[in-house]
Amino acid sequence: MGKYVVKRLLHGLFSIVMVILIVMILVYGLMDRQKIFKTDPQYTKVTNNARTTYMYQRWEEYGYLDYLPFNDYLNDLARSGEITEETRAAASSIGKADDGSDDSETTAEFVKRFYDYAASNGYTVRRLGAVVSKNRIVTGGQQALFAYKEKNVLVRLWNYFTGILEFDNIHKVPETQDIGKRGLTFTLYDPVKQAENGGKKVFSPAIIGNGTTHKYLLYFDSSFPFIHQNFVNIHLGTSFTVTRGVEVFSSMTQGQGAYVQQPLTYPTGLSEQSADNLHTATYIAGSRDANVMYQQRYEDDYTNVNTYKNNMSRMGYSFVIGIISTVMVYILALPLGVLMARYKEGILDKIGTVYIMFISAVPSLAYIFIFKGIGRAIGLPWTFDMDNVTKAMYILPIVSLALPSIASMMKWMRRYMIDQMNSDYVKFARSGGMSETEIFFKHVMKVSAIPIIQGIPGSLLFAMTGALITERVYLVPGAGGLLIDAINQYDNAVIVGVTLFYAVLSVLSLILGDVLMAMVDPRISFTDKSR
Amino acid sequence: MEDFAKKYNMTDAELFTQIDKDELESEKITAPRYSYWKSVFRVFFRKKINIIVLTILAVVVLFAYIYPSVIGYDDQVDPYLYVNETGVQHLTPTAAFARHGASLKWIFGSGRTGASTFNAIWNGSRISISLALICAAINMTIGIMLGAVWGFSRRMDMIMNEVYNILGNIPSTLFISVMVMVFSPSFWTLVFAMTVMGWLGIAYYIRTRVIIIRDHEYNLASRCLGTSIFKIATKNILPFMTSVIVLEIAAAIPGYISSEVFLSYIGLGMSEVSLGRLIYEAQQAMVTPGWGWEFWTPVAVASVITVVLYVTGQNLGDASDPRTHM
Repeated sequence: MGKYVVKRLLHGLFSIVMVILIVMILVYGLMDRQKIFKTDPQYTKVTNNARTTYMYQRWEEYGYLDYLPFNDYLNDLARSGEITEETRAAASSIGKADDGSDDSETTAEFVKRFYDYAASNGYTVRRLGAVVSKNRIVTGGQQALFAYKEKNVLVRLWNYFTGILEFDNIHKVPETQDIGKRGLTFTLYDPVKQAENGGKKVFSPAIIGNGTTHKYLLYFDSSFPFIHQNFVNIHLGTSFTVTRGVEVFSSMTQGQGAYVQQPLTYPTGLSEQSADNLHTATYIAGSRDANVMYQQRYEDDYTNVNTYKNNMSRMGYSFVIGIISTVMVYILALPLGVLMARYKEGILDKIGTVYIMFISAVPSLAYIFIFKGIGRAIGLPWTFDMDNVTKAMYILPIVSLALPSIASMMKWMRRYMIDQMNSDYVKFARSGGMSETEIFFKHVMKVSAIPIIQGIPGSLLFAMTGALITERVYLVPGAGGLLIDAINQYDNAVIVGVTLFYAVLSVLSLILGDVLMAMVDPRISFTDKSR
Repeated sequence: MEDFAKKYNMTDAELFTQIDKDELESEKITAPRYSYWKSVFRVFFRKKINIIVLTILAVVVLFAYIYPSVIGYDDQVDPYLYVNETGVQHLTPTAAFARHGASLKWIFGSGRTGASTFNAIWNGSRISISLALICAAINMTIGIMLGAVWGFSRRMDMIMNEVYNILGNIPSTLFISVMVMVFSPSFWTLVFAMTVMGWLGIAYYIRTRVIIIRDHEYNLASRCLGTSIFKIATKNILPFMTSVIVLEIAAAIPGYISSEVFLSYIGLGMSEVSLGRLIYEAQQAMVTPGWGWEFWTPVAVASVITVVLYVTGQNLGDASDPRTHM
């Protein structure tokens, strides 16, 4: 069994890599990259050459290409000590002509070196001459010199997969930074816990790092799953437009809504009402010196913290709604399907069939609106209000999510049971004198439930991803809309990240389903050689 | 025989006529005439509900395909006829009758631009149904042909299962939306986007059915007798699949209408004013008192169309299963 599962996992991994490859070709290769500027207000403000350079900067940020301006190239040379600061300054001002005919001697030399560097590294150089009108350079018409290189899709794929897991260690902070002694310290009394409890001594073990990206590498707190670690972090990509600058996975799991403030004592001893979660502190070089607020609060450069918010994360909302409706589906649909099969052609069977037909045929959007209309008519809250969450708000989304799944599960349960009723073992049991009810509940039901059991891991895992239409119709701030939002806002990193997340879930749920099925049904064996 | 002759007082010659022995006739097996498609329709029309459903379907087709051309509906002109008039937008049917006079055109009231909702719905229905039919035709043709080959060839099975595992994990919403963005959001783009990957699921389904039937004894016997694979596929297996295929089509056509509505709703649909676009554009009207007509009527028509198509297909599928022809 173990060997089989490992084989399936490796197989799944291959599928996932191929899926990401195709999605990367789709979003980076096929999609018109000009479209990212369609809703960009900054794009309309810049003109002429400034617009061109702006476009290349944006494309680099979105991950389409590597962009290297001439000045960055010179800065790199100066930083590595190859040229002096004076030479850099002298070389940096390029001439107005696009063929370099009016460059100074030093500049011309470095421009030539820039061209050579670009040619040997696969870059394409673009030189834009100044846009002059009536002897004056027009707005945004400054001359520009830069090089760019399209990212190779396989290199992109390799970089993406090698960057997914981030291992934190004490050499993460650049060695040039003087941060005192690097290392990990273990404490039984987590300082953040003391700070949040007004200085009282509270027992709570934690591992604190110096030189790591995260300050707290292991700690306990009161939020799920209670024990947290930062040694390994998942990095699916950084969002660009949907939730600016936030990692894709965090944007699904981060709290939403208004800040929750509580009395907090900062490391410097300053006490105030704050929503900061000091456990999430990460390192930003030089941040303490740059900001007076940080100087009053922190003793080191671990100043970047998340905040406590009063609402659940996107995934939290999706999961609560998804899991309740999944449980509802199993509790309601299985007995209903069984009863439909037991009393075939009866009144329940007929009503059930009509209902199944309604759900299968009518567009999902239409029946969700119909449920919403009915809910509104009987006085249920019909939109989600994050500022004022009540239990009643969950009712309509849960019901709308559950009702269609109930139909399909009823359909399959009924189908499986009726198929089993004609099999030989049922005829044998009947000839042995067992009652119809006995055969039905003791034998047929057990056998018919096996294909249903296979689907359980999938329905539990996919409860996390959220339901797109339901969440949109009821304005639930869940994870379901993330992919659509990302598509609409051309947020390539989020598209790739969310697809990866979905693909992993689907591979896992298939494998878990098969394992579960083999566990409940002794006839199914994956180790058998004859397979 | 003697008794008969005595009882009726007739001779043998009067009672019986001699029939000549016919060599040719004696070779024929006497059985009721059986024609497959005739039986399909006999079983189909035995159910009263099917006649009702077919009538509704005929009405839908009439309104969606013939009515717009009879009234000369032009989707570039008609939706904007009343844009510059005031007090004609969002009318209920009674208000529309009062404003424009009672006619068929206004029985659903008027919409956002003041144009007739009734006309817009049928024009939209034509677009949505056409999209569904074209997509179903393309996907079914490719899906069935490839699915049959996939089921027969073991080497192809290995390759195609891999392809299926990979392509099946690409979110179809993402794929369709990228296609819509790469090309223009038009009718034919959507057809292209929905058919590039749409056949895969059908092919997989057909492949599974073919594998089940392929190894039945009668096919083994047939192969032993030297029947070619092509003949086995078309003569031995295809008849078995007819009802399965009809059932698939029955589920697929409403499915495409459903996806079109969904894609329009999330803003990735086509530029033509289909049923989905109508629902999407009238969304705000749902919660505004008095504007309900322009939202609920397209929803209702979309539901009726899909239900009618689904029921027709399901029952036709049942009727095309020879086991029901008793």
